[in-house]
Amino acid sequence: MIADPLKTQATSKMMDMQLREVAPASAHHEFVLEVNNFNVDYGVGENMVRAVNDVTLKLRRSQVLGVAGESGSGKSTLVYAMTRLLRAPGVISGGDVTLNITNDGDSDEVTPINLVTASEKELRQIRWSHVSIVLQSALNALNPVLRVGREFHEVLKTHRRELTKSQRHARSVELLKMVGLNEDRLARFPHELSGGQRQRIMIALALALDPELVIMDEPTTALDVVTQREIINELNELRSRYGFALIFITHDLSLLIELADEIVVMYAGAIIERAGASELYEAPRHPYTLGLINSFPPMHGDRRELTGIPGSPPDLAELPEGCSFAPRCPYAMARCLHEAPALLNIGDSDRSVACWLHTGDSSVTVPVELSRSSSPSRAHVTVLQDHT
Amino acid sequence: MLARRLLLYIVTAWVAITANFLLPRMMPGNPIQTLIGKITNTVTPEEIRAIRLSFGLGFHQGLVAQYFTYLTQLVHGNLGISITLGAPVSSILREAVPWTVGLIGLSTIFSFAIGTFGGALLGWTRGSRLDSLIPTATFFQAVPYFFLATVMLLLFGSDLHWFPVLGAYSPTVTQGWNLAYIESVIRYGELPLIAIVLSSLAGWMLGMRNMMITMIGEDFVLMAVAKGLPRRKVIWHAARNAILPSIANLSLAIGLVVSGALLVELVFNYPGVGDLLLQAVLNEDYPLIQGIFLVITLAVLAANFLADIVYLWLDPRTRTVAAV
Repeated sequence: MIADPLKTQATSKMMDMQLREVAPASAHHEFVLEVNNFNVDYGVGENMVRAVNDVTLKLRRSQVLGVAGESGSGKSTLVYAMTRLLRAPGVISGGDVTLNITNDGDSDEVTPINLVTASEKELRQIRWSHVSIVLQSALNALNPVLRVGREFHEVLKTHRRELTKSQRHARSVELLKMVGLNEDRLARFPHELSGGQRQRIMIALALALDPELVIMDEPTTALDVVTQREIINELNELRSRYGFALIFITHDLSLLIELADEIVVMYAGAIIERAGASELYEAPRHPYTLGLINSFPPMHGDRRELTGIPGSPPDLAELPEGCSFAPRCPYAMARCLHEAPALLNIGDSDRSVACWLHTGDSSVTVPVELSRSSSPSRAHVTVLQDHT
Repeated sequence: MLARRLLLYIVTAWVAITANFLLPRMMPGNPIQTLIGKITNTVTPEEIRAIRLSFGLGFHQGLVAQYFTYLTQLVHGNLGISITLGAPVSSILREAVPWTVGLIGLSTIFSFAIGTFGGALLGWTRGSRLDSLIPTATFFQAVPYFFLATVMLLLFGSDLHWFPVLGAYSPTVTQGWNLAYIESVIRYGELPLIAIVLSSLAGWMLGMRNMMITMIGEDFVLMAVAKGLPRRKVIWHAARNAILPSIANLSLAIGLVVSGALLVELVFNYPGVGDLLLQAVLNEDYPLIQGIFLVITLAVLAANFLADIVYLWLDPRTRTVAAV
């Protein structure tokens, strides 16, 4: 935990009063977030489009979950809806999201909060103290007319009311140091900073209240590869030091390998593959995952021909019958065009995939590139060496 | 940075003053002839000379010399003598400007404040029942002003006697810093003020509402929600940015305050600059026209300079541009 005087009695008492009444403490401490059969629609009635379809996932404490997929795959919609930040016409149409928040200083006791049913007041208390978010464009995420320091003060003032002005300043300086920035940045306006500095500030801001869960929506997409690299390394370091759980959304699978413990791949609003990060990267099972991997150059290792995925993401309003990826899939079989595959575990392994190639049907020949066995990830080894 | 802008304004003011000097001299006609034309008796050449001299026109100077005389007189606050009123233009203006600045200035500020605040609220609650305020406000702006003002004057002034009418203060009180006079000025100002605010509210309101809706879609407002800030702070984040274009418009509006609302002053018989300008133009009173134009020009420039400073302070992004 961040050594701080910040999570003090006053706040914890406030949380106790406000949140304990909602649900009694229970023993869900293994997972920080549980999402069950979650559906999100855009619009209602005839023009309704399902953007997130029956998503179920669990995130352990201090784990990094990578969410990958093309634009329009529903990955951002999923996290915004989960945190109740989705704007109209987005509507949560089913399922529930449980955030198990720890009470201060006592990691054995957690309070489950159903984010789908939480009131505005409850949400305001949970937001940023327990779940914070980093957006793709830090330039847009910072108010252009405010000095950077104002953003820190505002968050600390709202959620840590007992802090004095000088304590807030000290904390802001400490946070900037965590991401390798000098305290003089606090007096700057967003437009006076570089893209990398802005994103570092967003990350520092996200960690200001020591949340259990940080959500990052393509935080490095707008940055050049060198800065991207630095930020990923810093994130790895911060995470091992402070132990927050992280949901990292990106379309760049090779980036996720560096950071994530587990990766889910989304397509047309549904999870189509879920596996440990290196397993998924070394031995993809879904043809779409393989396509994504072949669309980005690897951060480490040999050069590889980039092939990409033919076609474009489907129109969610007119999803094809059967598997939604079938029209673009080089391995599509007759069955794929009529029946949608469910997300099922492969054999007795911990990973799952939604593809007819992997249902154990002996009459189906699994292509060799989709049946590789995974080896210990070289990428992970390299990352560790970077820090020693 | 600010010094550079100030220099720009000084140059602009000089150009305006010079144009103000040249324009009447390039126009056909002659104010003395106009004046003489009004005199029914025969006028002897000596009398003409006397008239010319009394208006300071007796000396035959070249254009350049006239220009420098003009500038010197200007620096000393001497704007010449009004032909129709026979009084120094500067003292006539000193009488009229405060009325106009008071009435139109206050109306503009009220209209801006109410419209902007209302617009921010309407933008935030877009789609709610409050939206019906927009057509109402637009109606008042769409109705021709003199019609709206006349109807209000007749209804609330003449018929219902809610407000005093005609003039800027009661003729029964003595002018000066006494309570009765100040109270009377306020009472007489109320109806014209309400009429102006009503007729100009929609512009501020719609502008702010639309900017607000744009801002709500911005990431930093989403972030404000994600940070768990109370609602009024979230609205503040959006409004703080949405107000910037309104500030730019306000600077233009303030610049026009001095020129007065001619129609307002006519309908309510208010003794302002607008009314004065109309009289001056009708009587071809060149010194007065020139004086009024000069005051209007300088007021517009001053208001713009002020707005520039406020804008620099409100939007840090404008501070760096000129440094390049």
